[in-house]
Amino acid sequence: MKEFDFVGKDIPRVDAIDKATGNAKFTVDLSFPNMLHAKLLRSPLPHAKILNIDTRRAEKLAGVKAVITGKDTPYVFGVSHFDQTPLQTEKVRHVGDAVAAVAAIDVDIAEEALRLIRVDYEPLPAVFDAVEAMKPGAPIIHEGKERNIAAHASYDLGDVEEAFKKSDHVFEDHFETQRVAHVCPEPHNCIAVWDSSGKLTFYYCSQAPDLTRLQLAKAFGIPESKVRVFTHNVGGGFGSRATSKFSMDFAAIVLAKKTGRPVKIEYTRDEEFAYSTFRNKFIMDVKTGVTKDGMILGRQVTTISDTGAYCDYGPVNVNVGGAMAGTLYRFMNYKFDGYSVYTNLPYGGAMRGLGNPNVHYAMETQISMIADRLGIDPLDMRLKNAVHTGDETASGAILKSCGLTECLEAVAEKIGWREKRANPKPNRGIGIACGVHFTGVRLSPGIDADFAGANLIVNDDGSINLATSCTEIGSGSNTVYAQMAAEVLGIEPNKINVVFGDTENCPMGWGSRASRNTAVGGMAVKLAAEDARKQILNAAAEKMGIPPDNVDMELDIKKGMVYAKGTPSRGMTIADVVKFNRYRKDGQAIMAKAHWDAPSELADKVTGRGNFSSAFSFGAKAIEVEVDPGTGKVNVLKVAASQDVGAAINPLGINCQIEGAVHMGLGYALTEELVLDQKGKVVNDHLIDYKILTPLDMPPIESVIVESNDPIGPFGAKGVGEMATIGTPEAISAAVHDAVGVWVTDLPVTSEKVWMALKKKTERG
Amino acid sequence: MKKSQIKIKVNGEWHELTVPNKKTLLEVIREDLNLTGTKKLCNTGECGSCTVLMDGMAVNSCIVLAVDANGKEITTIESLSQIGKLHPIQEEFVARGAIQCGFCTPGMILSAKALLDQNPNPTELEVKKAISGNFCRCTGYVRIVNAILSAAERLRGENDERI
Repeated sequence: MKEFDFVGKDIPRVDAIDKATGNAKFTVDLSFPNMLHAKLLRSPLPHAKILNIDTRRAEKLAGVKAVITGKDTPYVFGVSHFDQTPLQTEKVRHVGDAVAAVAAIDVDIAEEALRLIRVDYEPLPAVFDAVEAMKPGAPIIHEGKERNIAAHASYDLGDVEEAFKKSDHVFEDHFETQRVAHVCPEPHNCIAVWDSSGKLTFYYCSQAPDLTRLQLAKAFGIPESKVRVFTHNVGGGFGSRATSKFSMDFAAIVLAKKTGRPVKIEYTRDEEFAYSTFRNKFIMDVKTGVTKDGMILGRQVTTISDTGAYCDYGPVNVNVGGAMAGTLYRFMNYKFDGYSVYTNLPYGGAMRGLGNPNVHYAMETQISMIADRLGIDPLDMRLKNAVHTGDETASGAILKSCGLTECLEAVAEKIGWREKRANPKPNRGIGIACGVHFTGVRLSPGIDADFAGANLIVNDDGSINLATSCTEIGSGSNTVYAQMAAEVLGIEPNKINVVFGDTENCPMGWGSRASRNTAVGGMAVKLAAEDARKQILNAAAEKMGIPPDNVDMELDIKKGMVYAKGTPSRGMTIADVVKFNRYRKDGQAIMAKAHWDAPSELADKVTGRGNFSSAFSFGAKAIEVEVDPGTGKVNVLKVAASQDVGAAINPLGINCQIEGAVHMGLGYALTEELVLDQKGKVVNDHLIDYKILTPLDMPPIESVIVESNDPIGPFGAKGVGEMATIGTPEAISAAVHDAVGVWVTDLPVTSEKVWMALKKKTERG
Repeated sequence: MKKSQIKIKVNGEWHELTVPNKKTLLEVIREDLNLTGTKKLCNTGECGSCTVLMDGMAVNSCIVLAVDANGKEITTIESLSQIGKLHPIQEEFVARGAIQCGFCTPGMILSAKALLDQNPNPTELEVKKAISGNFCRCTGYVRIVNAILSAAERLRGENDERI
C-alpha cells in the first residue's frame, strides 16, 4: 500500500483545542437579544380525548408573550410515516404528548404558565405492549391502522422451508431487547428566528441540517430557500438528531412567528430521557436450519418492534435489522418478517445502528447457542459460515471488501480464545460475536440517492476553506476530511478549515447518518481536493513554463510547495500560485466542488433484495467475564474489539470510536434500560437512575483495526461508528453461558436474571 | 422573588452582581458572565459537566446557589489556558484523543485539575474515582484516564521533553 503523509496517521482532532478550552460553541450556548424561552405542556395520560384546552389564565400571566395549541400548528410530519402533529388537538397518544406551548421572557415564567393551562381529557383505554396491541379488540391508536400495525417489512429470499427440510437440525429461539436512551450530553434544543422577509433561520443541533431544512419547508409549505438551518458543534447525536422530528421544533418556530422574537426551547434532562426518542424494544424469534457440522442452510427471523405512539424511525429500524441479518453469513435461504407496532408509549427512533444491533443480538446469540448444542467451537462455526470479499449475500449486498474472517481471528487471539477454551476456569467464561453494518444507505428518506457534497476554496495564504455537508457530531469527521484534503493537496491538515452546518453556505447532503461521513462525505472531499489540485498544478505550470500536457508528470506538491519533480528547488508555494492565478487579467480563483452519490441501489420492492450500500463494515468482539454465582453479578474482565474499516484514515479516531461504542455496548448488555410505569411514563429519567457505566466500571479494551481496502471508498475507507456498537451484548450473553452454563436471552443481562437462571438450573438438577 | 448582592471572583476578576436567591452559580456563570465553556447537561448534580473550581475544590455549579458562592474564588475552563498556551491537562486531552463531542470536556478537565492540585501522583484508580462523577457518552473513558495520568507525570516534571 502506498505510504501517505497524513492519511493513516494518528492526527489529533482539528477541533480538540477549541473543545478543551471551552471556546467551542454548541447550539445550546447561543442566545439572541430579545429572545424568549418556551416550554411544552405535555399530557399526563397515555391515551385520551382532548375535550377542551383553556389557555386564558396562562395568557394573562405577566411575562408570557404567546400561548399556542394545536389550532396554531396544523402541520403533519414524521420520518417513515407522516403520523405526527406538533401539538395535539383531538387526542393524546402517550404520556408526554405535547398539547400546548408557552413563550415567555424566562423559563420560570413559561413553566408557571404551563400550570395555568387547563386541559380537559376523557381517558381512553390504552395498550402498553406490542404483542397485546396486535390482538383483536386492542385499543386502536391511529385510525385505520388495524391491529396497530404501523408497518410490515419482509424479505423472502431463496426457499427457507426447503432449507429447513434439508437441515440436520432446526433451532428456534426467542430474544428480547430493551429500550435504551442515547443520553446525548447536549440536550435537544433549538432557536427559531424569523426575519421581516418571511425567512426562517433555525439554530438546531442537527446531524443532518439539510434534511431538517427540507422537512421544515415541506411542513410549513414554504420554499426551501426560505429556511436556513444552522448547526454548531453537536454534543452527541447517536441518531437522535438525524432529522427534525419533534414538537419542540414546530412550537419554537410558530411561537417565534407569533411574537416576532427569537424563541429558544431547551429540553431538561428528564424530557431528554423520555421524549427525545430511544432505541426501540424488539421481540424476536429466530429459526435456523444447520447441518450437523454447523453449516447454516436457512434462517427465518420474525421481529415485533414496539414503535410507541408514533413511527419516527421505527419501521426503518425494523427494515435495516432485516436487511443486515441476511448479510453476515453465506446462507441464501432467508425469510424476515418485521412488524412495527403502535402502543401508548413514548416513541423510539434512530439510535446508532438503527435496528441492527437489536437484530444482531438475537441472531448472533443464537449462533453461540447452536454451536454449544452441536458441540462445535462458536468461533469455528462463525468462520465456517462467514461471508468473504466478492460474495453476494442473501440480502443482495455485494461485498466489494470484507475482512470478517480477519476480525474474528484478531479478537480470538487478543482474548486467548483457543487456550482459554482448552483450560476453563470456574465461573469464568469467554464469548465471541461478529457483525456487519452498512456505510451509508439507500433507504431514506425514500429518495433514490445517498449523497454528500464538498466545496473547497484555496485562500491567498495557501490555506483551505472546506465546506462539507456532513456535520461534526463528535465522531472526528472534520479531522478525517482535513487529512484527506491535505493528502491530495500536499499541505498540512492544520491549514484546512473545515466548515459545516449551514444550509446556505455548505453543499447539500444527507448529513451525518448511517456511518457515511468517512466514506461518502470523504469521497466528496477527495474529489473536490483532486479538482483543486489539478487547478493548482495547471496554474503553476503556466507560471513555470511547463506544457499543459505534462503537468501531472512534471509537477508535484509537498508541504505547500508546487515543485518540478527531480528538481525540488524549482517551485513555488501554493499561496503564490493562488495569487498568480487570481490577481491578473482574466484571473481565476482556485475553487472546486464535488457531489458524490455512493454507488448502491434501492431494494426490490417485493423481495427486499438489493445492494443497498456502497460498502459494508465488519467487526467482532470477544469478551471475558467472571460471574459471581451467589449474586449473578457479571464482572467484565476484558473486551477485545476488531473492525474492518477498509482503510484507517485516522487510527486514533477509530480507536476512540471503538472504545466509546464498547462502553455503549456494555451498557446495552448489562445496565441500561428505560423503565416505564403502568401509564407508560419513563421512571428513570435521570442519570442517577439510568445506569451508565462509570470509569470505575470499565474493563480494559483492546482494539484491532483490520484493513480490507475497499475499492470504492476514499483511500479504501469504510464506515466505523455504528458497526462498533454491534457485538458486545451478544458476546456478553455467550460469555455468561460459558462461565456458569445459563443463557440469558433478554437484555440487559442483569445480576437478577443471571441469578434467577442459575436458580432454575439448580432446581432442575 | 428575593434578590441578593454578591461579589464573586471569577477567573481572577471580581464581579458584583444582584442575583435572585434561587439562581445557581452555573446560571450566573453562563447567563450573567457569558462564560459558556461551563456546560449544563443534567442540572441536578449528576453529570459533572458544570464542574468549576470554587476555592480550588471541584464543585457541580448547577447545585451551588450563587449566593453561597459569595466571596469565593471561581475558576472556569476559560481561564485554564493563556492565549496560545494550553494547560498540560488540556494538551494531553488534545494529543491523546480524550475528546470527542467535547461537551463533557471542560468539566472533565477541571475535575482532573482539582485532583492533580491535591494529589500530584494519583494511581489509575484514584483518577477513575476523581472523574467518576463526570459523565461522558463518547469515549468509554479510556483515553481520558490516560490523558490525566500523563498530565500528572508532566506536571511532576517527569518524562516531559517539553518543559
